[in-house]
Amino acid sequence: MPLQPTSLRNLHLLLRGTPRFVQNQFHTQWQIQSRSQSTASSVNPIEVSHFNALASSWWDPHGSSRLLHLMNPLRHDFIRSCHASQPTPPGSNLRFLDIGCGGGIFAESAARLPSTASVTAVDPSPEVLAVAKAHARRDPALQGKLTYLNTSIEGLPRPRGPDEQYDVLSLFEVIEHITHPADFLDACAQFVKPGGWIVMSTIARTWTSWLTTKVVAEDVVGIVPKGTHDWEKYINEEELRGYFLRERGWNSPRVMGVVYVPGLGWTRVKGSEKVGNYFFGIRKDE
Amino acid sequence: MKIPSTSLSTRQLGGYVCSGCTRQLRRQRRSYATSTVNPDLYDVVCVGGGPAGLSLLAALRSQPATANLKIALVESQRLDATRNFQLPPTQFSNRCSSLTPSSVRFLEQVGAWQHVDQKRVQSYEEMQVWDGVTGARIEFDWPAEKRGQTIAYMNENLNLTSGLLKRIDELGGVEVLDGQKVEDIALGSETEDFDLSSWPVVSLSGGRKLAARLLVGADGANSPVRAFAGIGSRGWDYERHGVVATLQMEGPGWGGESKIAYQRFLPTGPVAMLPLPGDYSTLVWSTTPALAAHLKTLSPKDFIAMVNAAFRLSPVDLAYMHTQSDGQADELAWRSQHTNFDQHRIPQQVIGVQEGSIASFPLKLRHADTYIGERVALVGDAAHTIHPLAGQGLNQGQGDVESLANTIQYAVTHGQDIGVRMSLEPYNAERYAANNMLLGVVDKLHKLYAVESGPIVPLRSIGLRAVNALGPVKQFFMDQAAGTGVKIL
Repeated sequence: MPLQPTSLRNLHLLLRGTPRFVQNQFHTQWQIQSRSQSTASSVNPIEVSHFNALASSWWDPHGSSRLLHLMNPLRHDFIRSCHASQPTPPGSNLRFLDIGCGGGIFAESAARLPSTASVTAVDPSPEVLAVAKAHARRDPALQGKLTYLNTSIEGLPRPRGPDEQYDVLSLFEVIEHITHPADFLDACAQFVKPGGWIVMSTIARTWTSWLTTKVVAEDVVGIVPKGTHDWEKYINEEELRGYFLRERGWNSPRVMGVVYVPGLGWTRVKGSEKVGNYFFGIRKDE
Repeated sequence: MKIPSTSLSTRQLGGYVCSGCTRQLRRQRRSYATSTVNPDLYDVVCVGGGPAGLSLLAALRSQPATANLKIALVESQRLDATRNFQLPPTQFSNRCSSLTPSSVRFLEQVGAWQHVDQKRVQSYEEMQVWDGVTGARIEFDWPAEKRGQTIAYMNENLNLTSGLLKRIDELGGVEVLDGQKVEDIALGSETEDFDLSSWPVVSLSGGRKLAARLLVGADGANSPVRAFAGIGSRGWDYERHGVVATLQMEGPGWGGESKIAYQRFLPTGPVAMLPLPGDYSTLVWSTTPALAAHLKTLSPKDFIAMVNAAFRLSPVDLAYMHTQSDGQADELAWRSQHTNFDQHRIPQQVIGVQEGSIASFPLKLRHADTYIGERVALVGDAAHTIHPLAGQGLNQGQGDVESLANTIQYAVTHGQDIGVRMSLEPYNAERYAANNMLLGVVDKLHKLYAVESGPIVPLRSIGLRAVNALGPVKQFFMDQAAGTGVKIL
């Protein structure tokens, strides 16, 4: 259909006043030599207070976290595809470190898998973590396998060897809420075993993601509370890839773009990592 | 309490229930429950050991991903009689069901069909359906390229449940609590270690208490599990009873090896004659409660005459014979001389009725408002009750079970808690609309043919004749009956 003058005008109106396509902090930050960060926190206090307010509805299947609940199975599918890509896929007794665990949607599910030895899940928001702990009590199978800690990554004791490192470090819907992502990822990397994985999901910084996550999800449909996303912090897949592959000791980057289709749920769509939600995984050199 | 004092490892408990739970069982210091007996924890507690419940457990045990779930079956009847079900080849239980090829495929997949005595199963390849008032017919027969293909399998329910139990015994790992009634279902309590306030706890007459991560109601039309979950069930009674009996025929049927099912729509309801192995058939005659009661009082000779009349005489003749207290056999002999019928398009003559096989049950339509609740799933008759005219009741239950087993498998492999509503949503989404449509279609068919006179009668005959003439439409109906058609959501 040819574009009508009216639709062009509508498009113009729609785009006016939107944030300009800026290079976010992450894009430049990783070129700067890392600061001493043993005490600095990656955590943004505004973000923490925002998620504190969300705590009570975290496990409401029809509440604001419904999309996260629906996405959770895909996280496992993605991790499985990462593991399956290894020359020798790992067996069982996997150790997980879930950063920014929130109410524990992923942490609980990872702990339930028979191939999981333990899950350590951390979140800086005390209210959210209290919800996570209370919820985990509903499933006796989680006891002994799942540990919650109210801390940021910087508050965790540094691993002294591979035995204290993790097979999978997960950052689901986290990196877009971090002020200094490069420092944060440097801190995360120390916790991953040689041959282990960092897996994450986030949103690409594009016009589409701005429309879907800021305008549609937060303002029009209202399925996500306002202020949940800060579009300028979104990170693109090629930026992550570039960061890890820049002589930092990582290999085998994997990406999977997913799209939420109403009535169908989250669906894997090839190439959609360029425009919206995507999973990213990368393996530490052995 | 069956928990020994020594520490049980996670592996001993099957992986899904952790060792911490057993600790909780030993030292539940602060309990809000009035009883001092602590519940045993299970991943799945299935109430009801009928075809739906047993199929679910066989499916869960046979899939590797769900084989480690800790499972209990609660059944109020003793199951030994079912397990050891055996009858001579000249006798058949009067409760038979039609199994579609799709149900049989599922039963094969879970490894249960191999345990069903195949000598007692009868397939049929053709259906003859006609209007008792106008005589309009629809002949369900496959087109040439599909000729000989099975429409459905007639099977005694006991032969199926017996096969399922044998399969479950073979797989092991299901704690069978039979001969025990459900005395109470209530939510669990919060203790120092755990919060079981969302877990249903089933109290049994034997004194056991089972806490369920997922409680499955396979407990029939008056489901206590459904009542516990507060799920309503709506519908109506048809004011009809289904009279069943095992009949001996004059021969194996007109088709020889290829068997035919017959159904005639009478104003009082459809009467169906479905083939069993050899010279036997099973009867399902839906009629008014008064006529059903009357049929049960007749001598075998007169009952046989009434069944033969039901497929041959006009509704007016039948109505008269229903008023006779006896002598139907003589009446039929006399009236048959004055009625024209093509004997090859109706069932062969009934010559005997198996002693004690005549029984009746009320017919109704029920549909639960939803099939899932928090830590609750309903399957089979607990979720829906259908008019038997299309022989879909048991097959709907098998469809439920296949869908629920897949839903549970997906949840387990993705680390979801299999009991929470979020995990169960795909099951409800997949089955509810499909069942609702079938319930509606079968209900409308019953109502359409319950009309004896008036403008609707010639119209429905035109409908039947039109369907009969239109190959693709007929094909569609047959595919639906056989469960091989396109699924209409």
